[in-house]
Amino acid sequence: MRGSIAVVTMTATLLMSIGVAAAFDDSKYPNLKGQWIRERAPAGVTGQGPFDPTKSWGRAQSAPLTPEYQAKFEESLADQATGGPGFWPGARCLPPGMPAMMTNFRPMEIIVKPETTWILIDHIHETHRRIYTDGRSWPEWVEPTFDGYSIGRWIDTDGDGRFDTLEVETRHFKGPRTFEPSGMPLHDDNQTVIKERIYLDKADPNLLHDELTVIDNSLTRPWTVDKKFRRVKEERPNWPEDICAEGQAMIHVGKETYWISGDGHLMPVKKGQAPPDLRHFKQPSK
Amino acid sequence: MLDRNAVTFVAMVLALGATMSSAWMAKAWAWDDALYPDLKGQWRVVGGPMRFDSSKPWGPGQEAPLTADYQAIFEKNLKAQAAGGQGTTPTYTCLSPGMPRVTNGYGQIEFVVTPGTTHILVQHIHDNRRIFTDGRDWSVTMEPSFLGYSIGKWLDTDGDGRYDTLEVETRNFKGPRAFDSSGIPLHADNQTIVKERIYLDRDDRDVLRNEVTVIDNALTRPWTVLKRYRREPDRQPFWREVNCAENNNHVEIGKENYMLSADGLLMPTRKDQPPPDLRYFAQSKP
Repeated sequence: MRGSIAVVTMTATLLMSIGVAAAFDDSKYPNLKGQWIRERAPAGVTGQGPFDPTKSWGRAQSAPLTPEYQAKFEESLADQATGGPGFWPGARCLPPGMPAMMTNFRPMEIIVKPETTWILIDHIHETHRRIYTDGRSWPEWVEPTFDGYSIGRWIDTDGDGRFDTLEVETRHFKGPRTFEPSGMPLHDDNQTVIKERIYLDKADPNLLHDELTVIDNSLTRPWTVDKKFRRVKEERPNWPEDICAEGQAMIHVGKETYWISGDGHLMPVKKGQAPPDLRHFKQPSK
Repeated sequence: MLDRNAVTFVAMVLALGATMSSAWMAKAWAWDDALYPDLKGQWRVVGGPMRFDSSKPWGPGQEAPLTADYQAIFEKNLKAQAAGGQGTTPTYTCLSPGMPRVTNGYGQIEFVVTPGTTHILVQHIHDNRRIFTDGRDWSVTMEPSFLGYSIGKWLDTDGDGRYDTLEVETRNFKGPRAFDSSGIPLHADNQTIVKERIYLDRDDRDVLRNEVTVIDNALTRPWTVLKRYRREPDRQPFWREVNCAENNNHVEIGKENYMLSADGLLMPTRKDQPPPDLRYFAQSKP
């Protein structure tokens, strides 16, 4: 009997050691590997990266803005109509932040580990959004950021023993942020709360959904959209380096935006725009 | 001699073990992070990021093995910096520092190791790297970038069955790039090759070493330095969001670098610098 106990003990030890080696069982998580790009817009949808991907950008979004923020939005549209950048922070090479970054202006990579899910998007700012899934609660203090602070939880919604949905809440923002390049603004108080449910399409494992709800004081009600991302077929895709400042022709002096011409000179972006004030330069002697 | 119950029990345990181990081994091949060194957490460079070789003083004190041509470019750059300019260091306009400068360790650093890729995420200008460890070769055609294209290989140098060293080679660059903030230039042909060996210090697992060797036509010989990064003790560290364009007061117009004053106006960066040419603005009538 003593021999059998020894064998059982050795066998159990072997099994335990095998278990220890497998520190992270990634089969418990959905396969999100690869490169994800924005799903092609439905026919007739126009504009650069609309927030609601089923509608054209701008007024056609029918954003549930308060009257005050609808007026600000109109101001942005009017500025863009005359050649200005409107309120879109990307024109100043500022990051889109949340929720606009999830419009996926450039390819996205998602890395899943038990404690954190990273969302990497190389657009304007090298976004590496961290979604903490280690069970932490909201910290007492968080420095506000454009991307916000995200806490997530993996859920097994169909009870098959595998996680299929990442539920995320994001807070602690700073601004300026807009929903989309038309300049549709979020509230200046930056008290935005964003809730997301991220999951693979049940019928198409190469289609990823991000059901995204924005709660913001610029809105009359929570605004929910379904962002969709398509996995590219290449096993080894190209990851382009996107550096906003490189070849950037738009410059900003005070509250004015100017353009750098092909020959390197300053030029106006609007008809009749005044040149910059050069009082800090030595004036030519008369 | 084993009794029958013990034999039956051992057989059951072994059968269970076989099932488990085949599943675990399949999983282990897919993702057994116990095979890789523990690089989790937040890392900061030891000795500051301002110098390429942190063991030597800044600028001429680096004793970079530059060719005569590139030594002359470096000297001219130092004079330009002394006069208030930026010399040959391009990052003031928010261009990526590129390789090898990002190994200087600006900002907070995170290493995310997956079987196919090791990500190095840095909160700075544009410093995130992907090091592909999926066995690919150099047959790929990729657009040149500031950070280059990195292929790595994990090594088990001490034969203990676990990887301990990441060997990396990086090519396919564009410029302009400099070694550090003093403006030590890399060659304009961008034929740089950077080799790295990244491993945890054997005596202190919270110190990561990176042996960086640069082969470049601006140099008379390969230049090797040792970088060290220290792991922060906080396991839930605070990650800053750094956006270069935010509050960047440098403005480049043509080949001239200007500053924005506190009152939002253009101002010179050096004595007697001429103002920008305003030929494209409607001239006010005398």
